[in-house]
Amino acid sequence: MTSLSPAEFALSFFREPATLTVRVCGELDYDTSEDLVDAVVARLEEGPPPREVRLDFGALTWIDSSGLAALLMIHRRTDSAGAVLRLENRPGFLERLLHVTNVLEHLTAPASGGRG
Amino acid sequence: MVGCARRVPPFVSVSRGSSARPPDVDPRVGATWTEAPCPVLVVDRYGGLVRINGAARALLPDAECGDRLHERVPSWLWGAHQRMGEGPHDGSLGTATGRINGRFVEAHPTPVGEGEVVWWLIDETDRRLAETALSNARLRSEILSEVSSALLSTLNVPRCTEVAASMAAEHLAEAAVLVAPPQGRRHPLTYARRGGPVTQVTRQVDVSGVPGLAEALQGFPPVPARWIDPGAIPDWVIPDGFSGAVGSVIVTPLPGHGVPAGALILLRSSTEQVFTEGEEVFARLFAARAGAALSAARLYTEQATVTATLMQELLPPRLTGVHGVEYAGGYRAAKDHERVGGDFYDVHPGADPSQETLVVLGDVAGKGLDAAVLTGKIRNTLHALLPLAGNHQRVLDLLNGALLTSRHTRFATLVLASVRRRGGQVRLRLTSAGHLPPLITRADGTVEEVATQGTLVGALPTVKARTVETVLSPGETCLLYTDGITEARGGPLGDELFGEHRLRRAFGESAGIPAEAVVERVQMLVSGWLGTGRHDDMAAVAISAPATGALTLVGGHAEAGGHTGGPGSRRIT
Repeated sequence: MTSLSPAEFALSFFREPATLTVRVCGELDYDTSEDLVDAVVARLEEGPPPREVRLDFGALTWIDSSGLAALLMIHRRTDSAGAVLRLENRPGFLERLLHVTNVLEHLTAPASGGRG
Repeated sequence: MVGCARRVPPFVSVSRGSSARPPDVDPRVGATWTEAPCPVLVVDRYGGLVRINGAARALLPDAECGDRLHERVPSWLWGAHQRMGEGPHDGSLGTATGRINGRFVEAHPTPVGEGEVVWWLIDETDRRLAETALSNARLRSEILSEVSSALLSTLNVPRCTEVAASMAAEHLAEAAVLVAPPQGRRHPLTYARRGGPVTQVTRQVDVSGVPGLAEALQGFPPVPARWIDPGAIPDWVIPDGFSGAVGSVIVTPLPGHGVPAGALILLRSSTEQVFTEGEEVFARLFAARAGAALSAARLYTEQATVTATLMQELLPPRLTGVHGVEYAGGYRAAKDHERVGGDFYDVHPGADPSQETLVVLGDVAGKGLDAAVLTGKIRNTLHALLPLAGNHQRVLDLLNGALLTSRHTRFATLVLASVRRRGGQVRLRLTSAGHLPPLITRADGTVEEVATQGTLVGALPTVKARTVETVLSPGETCLLYTDGITEARGGPLGDELFGEHRLRRAFGESAGIPAEAVVERVQMLVSGWLGTGRHDDMAAVAISAPATGALTLVGGHAEAGGHTGGPGSRRIT
């Protein structure tokens, strides 16, 4: 397709007592979105849940509808764990997608479920 | 025991390999040849047996000293002995091979004086068997590899079946019948005869009539061939042109991936050798390869059929004019052939020109079967909700509720457009549910983005959407499209998005041209941008107010244009 090779999809995690930070690097799409959900869910389930889950999109190069579905699923899980989801360092294309689909408010609303 | 001869021939002490020994050893070794592990015969010039040793007696229990050689040994050895008398030979020249009492023997002559010959017989039976077994094994592995490459070169089930049956008939038996798992009550049967044509029929047959066949079709291990009475084989098994009565039969399952791929029946006529145990084992190996190939072909075909069926169902309708409004749609599926994409559009014409026509264009997150199923569900639900289409928010609420599930967050984004022609103008109510906003080209060539916005459907508990009402004057067009178009990657650098600005420019240049030409133009430009690159599904629908004729007959009445609304978008809540 092209000689430009897209940045490799990678996740890095930083855990502080009350915060889980996930740095998402590369393309979040049909092929990679499940990895993100699985990895975040696995970390939510080990030990006491954090009060806040921060997804850092500073190194995100692309997101498609499957990637957005993954964010919606992560929100469901953080919400039921009583954690707030934060979407940080959003690139323009992510901002635009969240705007068109009208889900930013929902994704970053204070947690409704859980007792955290 | 031995020693009925008058003298011990001097030669026997001069055996090969002992020539280096000092001469005084000879007399002591002299008589030991009678104890030699290989059979030894001493024959005189008249063909009389002079002496034989113990090993020779074991091989030829009837032979005694003084017997005539030709009465005791097979003709090949007698012939070899006669040839020895015909002239001078060195030892290796007269060597002969043949069978004696079921053993395979190599006979080496050593001539001695006065026309006597000593025959050293070496039993080669075991080596022969090993050689034969080796060569058979080589041949079989060659056949198996040939079978595999021939079978795996096709994913077409009938062709694969034909190849399997014909190779079985060629290498394993005189005739082969491949019985495929039933389709309904009937089994596809493939008949092959060595050197004959392969025929395929689908017939209702009684599989229980063939011993072990019903079991083989269920994947149970084969019944040993010796348990199958060849006389009991029903006629339907025997291919046309099979000569004579059936002499032996093998029935073996064709093991597939998890499920049996059918069964193979091998036949030999009564004039041929019956199947050996080794051949039965080989038949099973062959069946394993054939089963794997057939099963792969069948799985592939099933998958291809499912995909084709879904694609057929998801294929967008051909659009034309409805109640004085022009519609045109274009759809280009993603290049990933195995993955059904998630773009769709539909036009539900109003019952009469006074009723609104509902146009839906949408995009489901994800790919493949999941996306296809969700797409189908959305299209059906929207069809059922048509009576409520006067209120887009209500339609979206109900659709969202129908799609919401705790299992996944797979969502859809879509645009609803309710369209009705009033006079020469086309009134539109447009609602985006998380989808890219529609574009409108005005008569003066400007392109507007319709300011409708709303929440995607199927993932959140509630959805909000803002409906925008607008009017198209003659020659103006509204374009609904999916992000496959704006996100098409290509261009001079190969990795640039087509983008909304290019779409707007292309669309702006289409003012005044028919809907169909608008869609074609957009598709053409995007295709050019893409080159050979990969792309997602791309769908677009154009809704146009026809440029021709200020007056049109609508509902039997001539209506003048210029009712409510005008150029530009007007918001309602």
